[in-house]
Amino acid sequence: MIILALDALDNNYVQKFNCKNLIQKEHGQTTLKGFNQERTIVLWASFLTGKNMEKEIPIKTQWEFKLHPEQTFLKFFQKYKVIDLPAFSYKQQNHEKERKLLKGYFEDKVTVEEYESLIWKNHEENKKEFFKNLGKFPLLIGYFNLADAIGHLSFGLTEKMATVYEELDKIAEEAKPSEDLILIISDHGMKAVGRYGDHSRNGFYSSNIQLGLNLPEITSFYKIIERIAKNEFS
Amino acid sequence: MENYLQELEKKSIALIREAKAQFKNLAVLWSMGKDSTATLWLCKKAFFGKIPFPVIHIDTSYQFPEMYQFRDKIAKEWGFNLLLAKNEDALKNDMSPKKGRLECCTKLKTEALKNLIKERKFDALILAIRRDEHGIRAKERYYSPRDENFRWDYKDQPAELWDLYVKPSEDFSHMRVHPILHWTELDVWQYVKQENLPVNSLYFAKNGKRYRSLGCMPCTVPVPSTASTIDEIIQEIKTSKTPERAGRAQDKEKAYMMQKLRSLGYM
Repeated sequence: MIILALDALDNNYVQKFNCKNLIQKEHGQTTLKGFNQERTIVLWASFLTGKNMEKEIPIKTQWEFKLHPEQTFLKFFQKYKVIDLPAFSYKQQNHEKERKLLKGYFEDKVTVEEYESLIWKNHEENKKEFFKNLGKFPLLIGYFNLADAIGHLSFGLTEKMATVYEELDKIAEEAKPSEDLILIISDHGMKAVGRYGDHSRNGFYSSNIQLGLNLPEITSFYKIIERIAKNEFS
Repeated sequence: MENYLQELEKKSIALIREAKAQFKNLAVLWSMGKDSTATLWLCKKAFFGKIPFPVIHIDTSYQFPEMYQFRDKIAKEWGFNLLLAKNEDALKNDMSPKKGRLECCTKLKTEALKNLIKERKFDALILAIRRDEHGIRAKERYYSPRDENFRWDYKDQPAELWDLYVKPSEDFSHMRVHPILHWTELDVWQYVKQENLPVNSLYFAKNGKRYRSLGCMPCTVPVPSTASTIDEIIQEIKTSKTPERAGRAQDKEKAYMMQKLRSLGYM
């Protein structure tokens, strides 16, 4: 099974940019019912545990928050590889640098280009690791924050975001020939604020098999993944 | 050209008269800029020379001295009822852009206006916004209902078919009425010229720069320009590729994003 965890991939924009590979057999919007904020760490932790983790993750220490495999659906797999997923194998150093440059941008110390260059560098690192491990594990999770990180400073710039969505669509395209079950999911969506981008509640999911979901919550996938791991899914 | 401007004016005057007929307690906002001054002029014309409702200036105390001079001069010459929306409490507590631009705007503009609306029980405000100013304003309607926190849901607005502007039946705190929504920046300047309207001296170039949009002094920057007459401004706008609010809008959005990212724990 492959899970593409795509931060801030917005359901409306996947359709708008006609991302043919991200849109699979079953696809649609997720709901964040029950969540007060669209916090990245909280949402991925909730995805992994099948429970709303908002109250358990304080905002001040959220980036250090880390789950034990036994608390997550990973316990249903004998072997797995999880690349950079928040709340589990998050690359602290990489993302800390990203947030530092983001702060620098708002303090007029860093240019958009400098910030984006680091985002693309980290993205390429994850991409390389993801394709190196493709087909080697019963469960492979690749996390990519390109849409979120670029989107925060440029979501209002349609051409730039089209390039970002195209890149994520290409990753989905290249992952497909593995003939595995592919689940693509985002934590939340994004909406434009002038040239900038703010988290929205229009998250996205898709699967190359029929799951029969309708506006699923991010916590709904835990049970499905458990059934897949136990070969109960037909 | 005259016919074109006449058509714009006709529609705006119809909207202003409609608003006066539909709402019990109407007022018009005036920032002393070209758009709101043109709107005041349209209000004058709509009611044969006398504006029959109060004119509100949101006084942050940080606006340019030229703007205050302009305000007092026009208020005297045109003889309308000028009301000031001023958040004295926030000013006493030294509120300024140094404390954060978004917070400053919220306290000195939004809260000042909220207080005045509450105090005077206004049910509708006329505002001089235009669709071509900004992407988000392109989604506006002529009648735009707001809740008590000034929130606006662009996905849930009353339909405006066949030029019928109907008050929505749902609860709303006040209605925003936008009589020059369909005008462009160029239309406004051409109208200013045609009607010989007074304009603030800040719009005209000095030392290679002029203000294309007016706001508070610490948060507004001039744009490079040599246009020192209305004709030159009209010519400049016809060829300019710089957005009208280049010296202003981004700051506000940037401040909003910074605050939002902080609340999400990014910074």
